[in-house]
Amino acid sequence: MSVEIELSSILGRYTDNHLNIQTEGNTVGECLNDLVRQFPKIKKLLLDKDGKLLRSYDVFINGESAYPQEMTRPVKDGDKVNVMMLIHGG
Amino acid sequence: MLSSRELEKYDRQIMIHGFGEEGQEKLKKARVFIAGIGGLGSPVAIYLAAAGVGTIRIADHDTVELSNLNRQVLHYERNIDKKKVDSAATKLAQLNPDIKIEKISVTITDKNISRLVADSDLIVDAMDNLPTRYLLNKTAIEKNIPFFHGAVYGFEGRAMTIIPGKTACLNCVYHGAAVPKEKFPVIGVTPAVIGCIQATEVIKYLLGLGDLLTDRLLNYDALRMKFTEFKISRDPNCEQCGNPSGR
Repeated sequence: MSVEIELSSILGRYTDNHLNIQTEGNTVGECLNDLVRQFPKIKKLLLDKDGKLLRSYDVFINGESAYPQEMTRPVKDGDKVNVMMLIHGG
Repeated sequence: MLSSRELEKYDRQIMIHGFGEEGQEKLKKARVFIAGIGGLGSPVAIYLAAAGVGTIRIADHDTVELSNLNRQVLHYERNIDKKKVDSAATKLAQLNPDIKIEKISVTITDKNISRLVADSDLIVDAMDNLPTRYLLNKTAIEKNIPFFHGAVYGFEGRAMTIIPGKTACLNCVYHGAAVPKEKFPVIGVTPAVIGCIQATEVIKYLLGLGDLLTDRLLNYDALRMKFTEFKISRDPNCEQCGNPSGR
């Protein structure tokens, strides 16, 4: 399955400024792991030592929240996954 | 009743279809609580004051620092070391002497939050940390007060409007997630955009015009100059707004 992951610009420095990345996988977790394979620097930012998504990130599939159990959510060919960092500044 | 001076001052917005003198009266009668008068709070307060919102209560415990001035446009170099609420109240009163500015220099806590928002028609979230945002969200839900969220980081910002009992709340978005309170990067144009969106939502809510930014998280990515909406549903298990009785 080919799934586009879109990152906010904040995360671009970890992906050589690539913000729309084609990944392969049947779940959000598989796609994120493919993202990490392509851009290893982003791993420690997104995932904990057990490979779970850190709580300071939200995932949306085709514009809808994937919470809870984001990593096991199925995705299909052509889906778009947004990965958003929690922001709190004012 | 609007004075002839007010009718002249607000003439251009009274002209807007659906606004009218009746709408201006609604703004005049409104009481708005703005939590934080920094990067987001400055544009929110400026545009609500200019629009003629009758009572604006501002709460912030900080004093003005040099490093605030790239974005907190209500504060000037001459205000450094002064209380932010004093600095802001002075400018807002000069901008619109026909409205009432209430200033409270205090740290917002669970002990004083009820008193701070008392009698307010709505709460604007212009804070710089998540714990206080959650506290404001929880209080808004408990007291059935509409809540207008905004947040920024660098060139990116987000906004959402929460109508207690009807729409998803801030905790439905973030599920109690926490991040360390730390110095965050930001340029003034980002809170300017997000603060103006919050002020717009407040005005729309008070007038009963248009569609509010409810059940939708609006993300603004200035580097791509792109707005993206994400659908947010009420979480029936939300610790702050979820309730078996369907509050």
